[in-house]
Amino acid sequence: MDRLLLDSIMGQVSKPVRYMGNEYNMVEKNPEDVSIRFAFAFPDVYEVGMSHLGMKILYHLINEREDTYCERVFAPWTDMEEKMRQAGVPLFSLETKTPVSQFDLVGFTLQYEMSYTNLLNMLDLAGIPLLAEDRKEGHPFVIVGGPCAYNPEPLADFVDLVALGEGEEIIVELLDQYAEWKGSGESRREFLERAAQIPGIYVPGFYDVSYLEDGRIRSVKPNNPAAEERVAKRIIRNMDEAYFPDRLILPFMDIVHDRIMLELFRGCTRGCRFCQAGMIYRPIRERTPEKLLEMADKLIRSTGYEELSLASLSSSDYSCLEGLVRQLMERYQDKRVALSLPSLRLDSFEKDYIQEMQKVRKTGLTFAPEAGTQRLRDVINKGVTEEDLFKAVTDAFESGWNGVKLYFMIGLPTETQEDLQGIADLAKGVAQCYYNVDPEKRHKGLKITISTSSFVPKPFTPFQWEAQNTMEELKEKQSFLKKALNLKNIYYNWHDPGTSYMEAVFARGDRRLGKVLLSAWKNGAKFDGWTEHFKMNAWMKAFEENNLQPGFYAHRKREKDEIFPWDHIDVGVSKAYLWKEWERALEGKTTPDCRLDCTGCGIRRLGEGLC
Amino acid sequence: MRVVLKYTREERVKYISHLDLMRAMQRAVRRADIPVAYSQGFNPHPIMAFASPLPVGVTSQAEYMDIVLEQPMSLPVLRERLNHALPKGIGILDAAVVDDKAPSLMSMVERADYRVTVHGFDWQQVLDAYNERTEILVEKRTKRKVTSVNLKDSIYSLQPDKESRDILYLSLSIGKKGSLPPGAVAEALLKLPEQNDKENGSMVFIHRIGLYCRINGQWTTPLSMKRN
Repeated sequence: MDRLLLDSIMGQVSKPVRYMGNEYNMVEKNPEDVSIRFAFAFPDVYEVGMSHLGMKILYHLINEREDTYCERVFAPWTDMEEKMRQAGVPLFSLETKTPVSQFDLVGFTLQYEMSYTNLLNMLDLAGIPLLAEDRKEGHPFVIVGGPCAYNPEPLADFVDLVALGEGEEIIVELLDQYAEWKGSGESRREFLERAAQIPGIYVPGFYDVSYLEDGRIRSVKPNNPAAEERVAKRIIRNMDEAYFPDRLILPFMDIVHDRIMLELFRGCTRGCRFCQAGMIYRPIRERTPEKLLEMADKLIRSTGYEELSLASLSSSDYSCLEGLVRQLMERYQDKRVALSLPSLRLDSFEKDYIQEMQKVRKTGLTFAPEAGTQRLRDVINKGVTEEDLFKAVTDAFESGWNGVKLYFMIGLPTETQEDLQGIADLAKGVAQCYYNVDPEKRHKGLKITISTSSFVPKPFTPFQWEAQNTMEELKEKQSFLKKALNLKNIYYNWHDPGTSYMEAVFARGDRRLGKVLLSAWKNGAKFDGWTEHFKMNAWMKAFEENNLQPGFYAHRKREKDEIFPWDHIDVGVSKAYLWKEWERALEGKTTPDCRLDCTGCGIRRLGEGLC
Repeated sequence: MRVVLKYTREERVKYISHLDLMRAMQRAVRRADIPVAYSQGFNPHPIMAFASPLPVGVTSQAEYMDIVLEQPMSLPVLRERLNHALPKGIGILDAAVVDDKAPSLMSMVERADYRVTVHGFDWQQVLDAYNERTEILVEKRTKRKVTSVNLKDSIYSLQPDKESRDILYLSLSIGKKGSLPPGAVAEALLKLPEQNDKENGSMVFIHRIGLYCRINGQWTTPLSMKRN
């Protein structure tokens, strides 16, 4: 890479620090000393990608290997991309500024459907052929992983390999195979065949998909003996023994989540029916408090971070939470390390914790009732009551908080006008809780923020059979709420319905969408998750060009026996269980937390003895 | 105990902003376990004050900041511990204890010297044009308005290197009298000659050589504020 040329373009763009690297704790190796070069690519800008815990873990894990150098790559912001294209500078790694096309493997993590065009754009900027079938000997292998990889079908044309499930073991096994293959003189195809035999590796090219006349799937069949009928995700069995880095890269620039994220456990037992994470990350596996304290200690010392957050799907469900929080407080109060508890659930939220949190530093308070009425909360199995919410916010207001954020979804299955009105009523109820607190005790300046996202039916959830609301329906609901929430001290935020629509299309998409993705990217779509960049026209045109209806994917209610594009991926939770949960939802029946009693979701098949 | 630190910011970290640098210093101080004083309030942070923010893209061999120690500490130990905890490319060169009541670094520094390199360019032509003019108006942007100022009022001296004429030594006023960013000064100077042989788009490398205060009529570095 011509460093002078790179320097000259970095001098002309916003936030050049995004492309600089050289942060504290960055891994430095001499590329001459390794035989495998792995580019860990995040299809979004630096400050988003660097906030992602999985990348931090795998980066250091891969770099533990003497034979491999793992470097980071992010999507350049649009100003940088423009300069790079003008100057002929290809996509490069942060560590050694090596062109990405020179790497052996390029692994993208898929956190969000709306980052798919960035993946294409990055491959293009790297000069790597977009279509897997066009890649020849000498080109890198393109791998994807992360939550969206559980239905990787819309990306099937572009990726060589998919890693399903938790990455700590599978990535090591894959690199072992690569190391053997690299000197063997075997073909690209032979490497894919080796890889397909690693449990959890899915090679889309080894499967043929046939369709019914109406566009639904007829069958998905392996076309290569190395490929299994169904590929099951990988699970780390023992979280205390799982690899965890004792240091983290400290970004110079301000990033989205700039703190230590202490992962208490994986999985969630709540069973909220809209929540994909709650299903795909099962079973629940906790770290012991001793292990967590040891991790916290090492990380605080090696990073100097001033904030630590407990990062899990529902951190307050951790079985030793109280003891852990108390110990963390005692140990780090003098060192001025703030502790924050994100995504708190109402029913396990206690005043004690609020006060504990306040001892060191005040952090924002957020609650997610998700739906406005008890009836709808029962449908989605969000076991939270109005009473829980009012008690929790009253406690918070009494402890000196004056700002609360409440998250809801609109467009949920069975939703009626009453449920929307319920959102406004809850907001008013929370305001009333504030006014009921002794004016001497409460802080001035009440601010209640209500945010609604639009429900997106996701694969591997009980709602995977459901239709999404149309954009018109969502817009109507948003206008209703804009009026209903036009109240003193209450602020309303909503999501762009167009983005939610496309998200729904790709979440449950099949392979035919690869052509749409390619067209949309050619029409200028990128950074689709960023409101200022989302181009609905580019997408609509792409569907027209390829003769496909987005409504087929987003707005269509499915029948029980439909074969889904992701049915050959096994996440452990069975389709039969999901269907049962879908029926219970429509009957308004809740399902208890499976810590209390096994609900038979099917994960025991994969995670034998784990729950 | 107030300590002034002299440090570098090298090529490999030159694109960090002043805020980025402050954050990096705060975390380094925490990693190095330096007993620094913290600010009060909801988000306490180590108390630090900087002499003069360095623009993004500019390197330096002489930056200054001060910290307040809650317990006394030997300066060589402080330096070593901090250097061990800092990102590569930022290094502590020197440290000195100053009077707690000494004025702030920012109020003390009045002059900044830079080395400006434009490969293949001859600065002599700039110097000739500069000497012919009595007034060179440039736009100065502040948050509120754009004003026109005479560049010559901000320049103490400018001198091409005797051997490599693509290097210019530039001495600028900073602080109380107002200051112009070195990048803007360099751009304005490059526009002076009628015949400009600077190739379009060639890089301007700016390196800060020193920051100076005037004590008893003498130019001296902020480290000379040290307690006797």
